[in-house]
Amino acid sequence: MTDTTSTALLEIDGLHKRFGDLEVLKGVDLNVAEGEVISIIGSSGSGKTTLLRCVNLLEEFQEGEIRLEGEAIGYREVNGVRKRLPDKDLSRQRSMTGMVFQSFNLFPHLTAAENIMLGLRKVRKLGKDEARAKAETWLGRVGLAERVDHHPGQLSGGQKQRVAIARALAMDPKLVLLDEITSALDPELVQEVLQTVKELAAEGATLMLVTHEMAFARDVSTRIVFMEQGLVAEQGPPEQIFGAPKHPRLAEFLGRSRT
Amino acid sequence: MGYTLNFSSVWANFDSLLWGLVLGLFMAVCAIGIGFLIGIFGAFASQSKSPWVRGAIGFYVSILRNLPLLVLILFVYFGLPQLGMTLGRLESFIGALAIYAGAYLIEVLRAGLMSVPPGVVEAGRAVGLTQFQTNLYVVTPIMLRNALPAMSSTFISLFKDTSLAAIVAIGDLTYQARKINVETFRVVETWTVASLLYIATCVLIAAGLRALERRYPRF
Amino acid sequence: MSEFLHQLTLSQGALLSGVQVTIYISFLSIIIGTAIGLVIGLVLTYAPFLARLPFRIYVDAIRGTPVLVLILAAYYVPAVLGVSLDALSSGILALTGFCAAHMGEIFRGAFQSVEKGQTEAARAIGLTFPQTVRYVLLPQVIRSVLPTWVNTGAELVKGSTLLSAIGVGELVLRTQEIIGRNFMTMEFYLVAGLIFLLINLAIESFGKYLERRLTYA
Repeated sequence: MTDTTSTALLEIDGLHKRFGDLEVLKGVDLNVAEGEVISIIGSSGSGKTTLLRCVNLLEEFQEGEIRLEGEAIGYREVNGVRKRLPDKDLSRQRSMTGMVFQSFNLFPHLTAAENIMLGLRKVRKLGKDEARAKAETWLGRVGLAERVDHHPGQLSGGQKQRVAIARALAMDPKLVLLDEITSALDPELVQEVLQTVKELAAEGATLMLVTHEMAFARDVSTRIVFMEQGLVAEQGPPEQIFGAPKHPRLAEFLGRSRT
Repeated sequence: MGYTLNFSSVWANFDSLLWGLVLGLFMAVCAIGIGFLIGIFGAFASQSKSPWVRGAIGFYVSILRNLPLLVLILFVYFGLPQLGMTLGRLESFIGALAIYAGAYLIEVLRAGLMSVPPGVVEAGRAVGLTQFQTNLYVVTPIMLRNALPAMSSTFISLFKDTSLAAIVAIGDLTYQARKINVETFRVVETWTVASLLYIATCVLIAAGLRALERRYPRF
Repeated sequence: MSEFLHQLTLSQGALLSGVQVTIYISFLSIIIGTAIGLVIGLVLTYAPFLARLPFRIYVDAIRGTPVLVLILAAYYVPAVLGVSLDALSSGILALTGFCAAHMGEIFRGAFQSVEKGQTEAARAIGLTFPQTVRYVLLPQVIRSVLPTWVNTGAELVKGSTLLSAIGVGELVLRTQEIIGRNFMTMEFYLVAGLIFLLINLAIESFGKYLERRLTYA
């Protein structure tokens, strides 16, 4: 088991996120250590996805701090004024985390391999052959060795999502964020994607995922985080969260999820 | 540079600009009116079972959309008299613009026609309307409404195209502006005022048609 | 008929030089106009309001003004401002300005219609904004803009005829000169019309060819 007391890879302190008047995150605190697999659960509107998007700096946030390997990301203080970092720094910090989206967001004009190679070449500055080799390796690992030169339009939903996972993982991110990655899939395609995630977890990747697949979360996670109304309401190992929920809303939520 | 703006000579001739604009609008309305009839007829004819009719419509649209309007205008005005068809300046210009407008409006209305859900036609027939009645009372209103956004940009283009009348010496806004330009040398002022008049008119046409779009929601 | 063929042979050279000028004008304006239009489209989509404003005004003003007025203004205005431009350059300036505004609006529409997820996925793998534009957005935008772009090319060929009004020796002016010599009005306007038709049909089929080549499954 992972030692959660060691220095955290990701530290989130007092994170506040507002969309206009609507406060979506109301002071989230969360630490993630290397090798952990964290599933974030909760009803829709609880702020799960927003939290993930803040970590990947796809959303701006108004208060609090997110540190990755000790480095504050997204903002810096200049003479006491909080300032968003310039595009170049944001890009570098984003490349430390990988993100897999609900709607895949593959680049339609690029083949499966090219989707993976783009970041390797332009961000990681690998040569063409090296990037290609790495892309092929990763496509093999997600079971798509046969689809290397296919365009996204020629792939099924499950295959697209596995390419997206390979695209995120090939960048060797410290942390991979997976945002409801099976929600847009037909039921029969869900398992192949979940299986891929399980294998990654088994290999020791640090994962943070938002999911509605409770059985899967229970199976794959080292820790479950329950979010409610923009706050972390309860967290703990899967056995405890699913077996003996303390927070009344968690019990209610789990009851609803089971039906 | 040394050019100082002085609008007084443009204001002195402002009425001729305005009358030019009115003349342009008049030509646009006439040409669009005729072109619209061609458009409706052509759009339905393009759905005809006969390949000859469809081919003829396709030919008309393709030729006129690829022909410069100026060549068409010059041909109608200077060329047709050779065949014994002598038309007045204004008539020949409106005629040329109408033929041109027809081609564009066939395209626009055909797209509108394609957007009419087939179920609606079947429903029309099911309540006992004839084919013609179904087209008139059911298909046409839906087609017109759905084609409205595209029609409005076609109308605006056609209005702007009335400026070509200046080339065959019809006294429209562009012609008047060029005249003031040459007579007074208030070059910057003249063209600024002339384009502002065009822009304002386009904005008004667009706003009017958008109000119509809002009033009748898309089907 | 034989008289017409004789006149046609005599005017061959004039027609050919007219075609060359027409193509030269259209080609230059579409290339430069598209490059400027791309910048305008990017600014209109991604720049903050104040930076956007002058571009918005430019695009709307140009699009609300007839091309002939743009051409006449570009012909008369520079001289009084102390810039000397010949008729050909004035004409190209006007058509380029028109093309830039037109393409700017088309590019804006295309950039805005790329799904938001594309930009997010590009950012998520760490691409900077210029890299995102270059490698992710532009390839998709170019494909969606292509049919309209080719159409704009044909529009510019048609628009270039208006340069005859300021004395540029493109195909229409050359045709008028020929007609002034032989009085075969209808015949030579038909010839000119046919040539324009051929040019534009060629552009159209070139567009279809490009579209076929650039589609991805």
